[in-house]
Amino acid sequence: MSILIDKNTRLIVQGITGREGTFHTEQMLEYGTHVVAGVTPGKGGMEVLGVPVFNTVREAAEKTGANASVIFVPAAHMMSGALESIDAGIPLVITIAEHVPVHDMMRVYHYARLKNTRVIGPNSFGIISPGKSKAGFMAHRIFMPGSVGLMSRSATNCYETVFMLTNAGIGQSTCVGIGGDMIAGSSFSDILPLFEEDDETKVIVMIGEIGGNEEELAAVLIKKRITKPVIALIAGKNAPKGRSMGHAGAIVSADGTGSADSKIRALSEAGVIIADSTADIVSCVKKQLLSE
Amino acid sequence: MDLMEYKAKELFESGGVPVQSFVHITARELEEKGDGILIEAARRIGYPAVVKAQVMTGGRGKAGGIRFAENDGELVKCAHDIIGMDIKGHKVRSIMIVGKAEVMREFYLSVMLDRITKCPMIIFSPSGGVDIEETAKSTPENILKTPVMPLSADMKGGVAPYHTSYIAGKISERYPDIPKTFQKELGDILNALYGLFIKNDCMLCEINPLALCKDESAENGMRLIALDGKVSIDDSAVKRQAWLADYASSMPRHPLTKEAELFNFLYIPCDGNGDIAVMSNGSGMLMSCIDMITREHIYVRAVLDLGGGATAERIKEAVRIILSDEDTHFLFINIFGGITRCDEVAGGIKLAYESGRLTKPVIIRFEGTNKAKGLDIISGIPGVAYADGLIEGVAKLKEEAASYEHIDR
Repeated sequence: MSILIDKNTRLIVQGITGREGTFHTEQMLEYGTHVVAGVTPGKGGMEVLGVPVFNTVREAAEKTGANASVIFVPAAHMMSGALESIDAGIPLVITIAEHVPVHDMMRVYHYARLKNTRVIGPNSFGIISPGKSKAGFMAHRIFMPGSVGLMSRSATNCYETVFMLTNAGIGQSTCVGIGGDMIAGSSFSDILPLFEEDDETKVIVMIGEIGGNEEELAAVLIKKRITKPVIALIAGKNAPKGRSMGHAGAIVSADGTGSADSKIRALSEAGVIIADSTADIVSCVKKQLLSE
Repeated sequence: MDLMEYKAKELFESGGVPVQSFVHITARELEEKGDGILIEAARRIGYPAVVKAQVMTGGRGKAGGIRFAENDGELVKCAHDIIGMDIKGHKVRSIMIVGKAEVMREFYLSVMLDRITKCPMIIFSPSGGVDIEETAKSTPENILKTPVMPLSADMKGGVAPYHTSYIAGKISERYPDIPKTFQKELGDILNALYGLFIKNDCMLCEINPLALCKDESAENGMRLIALDGKVSIDDSAVKRQAWLADYASSMPRHPLTKEAELFNFLYIPCDGNGDIAVMSNGSGMLMSCIDMITREHIYVRAVLDLGGGATAERIKEAVRIILSDEDTHFLFINIFGGITRCDEVAGGIKLAYESGRLTKPVIIRFEGTNKAKGLDIISGIPGVAYADGLIEGVAKLKEEAASYEHIDR
């Protein structure tokens, strides 16, 4: 097993005719993802890499039985694309673009909750269940099937960790890009229960960073109902104050909410193992797997 | 992006939030046109007038950046005193001239994007005029927070009459002397402020103080006025807010940040006392890099985020830009090669060396795509040391730092 995506995932690529959309569709097909349809308004009837293109998500879903969508459109058009997918009843919508206006994401967030749709991202590398399927832009060669469930606000910190895990012979069940923005469609707390229920996942790794209170909320949830070992890294402790480091969400507010210290304290109290670097995550994972 | 008071007030005025009429004068205008423009402004505003420094920082009043003038002579003196002043490291480049209001009470009112509830949040406090963070600490009971569901039950979203009524009720409890007509006025302002917040992609629209002022022309002889304002716009939305273009380009920014932008790099100045610069390909990795380096008591002066897929030619430029700060004494490069290829990174460093731009020692660590090729390219470049892994990289950095007197503190 794995979470969110697997061999049964039938994926739509929104923006398939764009440069990024086409390039990553090719990469996803190469990996074995079932990309069943593309959507670009006005380009219905075309084919891209053998994948049929439709004008609307609803039509694509009707004709192909798609059950997930990844949005490769520029930030300014993310909202309309996501709302369209949510309206079409697609249960899993993955948004990649960075620099999405936060008001747009605010609307998408609430609409998705209203319609019971799971949104991942924005500013996310997507999702990969190694050996089964990937929906996103991650360089998939570094991933390997296995038992570590990973979720990360940062793409680069995730890659670095995965690279070291794979080199150490430790594979991953699913890696989820939470995304680096202020409002994420799904947070750690939304993903944790899925890893808890997944038979394949033995250890959970969460890579958080400064800003917001999602790590603190995750700590509460972990204490209450997560039995699997959780290892966490919080990046940004020494980032310059009041300045966001490229991730719009990585900023400590004036009242101190979102500091690394507060997150580390809450997670430690909940029994989470705190790693102090990506390399340390790997040693912690090794220790946990050995003690199994 | 934060707006200065004059820009925030222009926005307020356009959206129906009442402000006093004011005149904004830049240092350049004053220099070109002379004191005449001050006198002319005073004719419109009347005396007593207030001269307010326009800077992007709080605490102007205490720093002497807000002064009162009773006549032309005083006005000219105040204006010249304030322009060019340094307030907490911000040089005053323009002033606002505005009438002196007769304030009866001061409140606080704002709409902000609350990342906890993921909703616009109305924040009201009956004690305005002071820093809201201070009020939150000293008397949290004085802060009333009201999240507004952006997709509301009435399908319209936005402020409902019950939101206003609740806030007005709290004011009446505290100040029974304030007349009931005030509630409608407050409701209008709240609706206007919320409208501006939504329309302009704001992170914050703050009126502080929202003042109840004496006004002979108004019903009851008093009315609510936004005496000061702070507005912050979502950086990711600045492009679609066309009215901001001129203002955004006029903002003073770090010259290296500007230059880096030309190549689509993000340059962020960090610790002004730091000595080393860090370059990487992703913000998460930059943050964890800074954390590891700071732990060794080495201070990071600036960072540069290459983003994904930088070519050798662009990396040469990145090296040139980041090393052009005289006070940066060495460079740490940490790359995880996914889309960015290690041979391109190495090639960029070689190009920088060949063009004489590699003026300071470099410690480089890379991993991933085409690592072996990259290693071949950098071997033998003087001043470049390779580290296998981030931990070894930081250890090398520490050795380098120990040999450099300023760092060892």
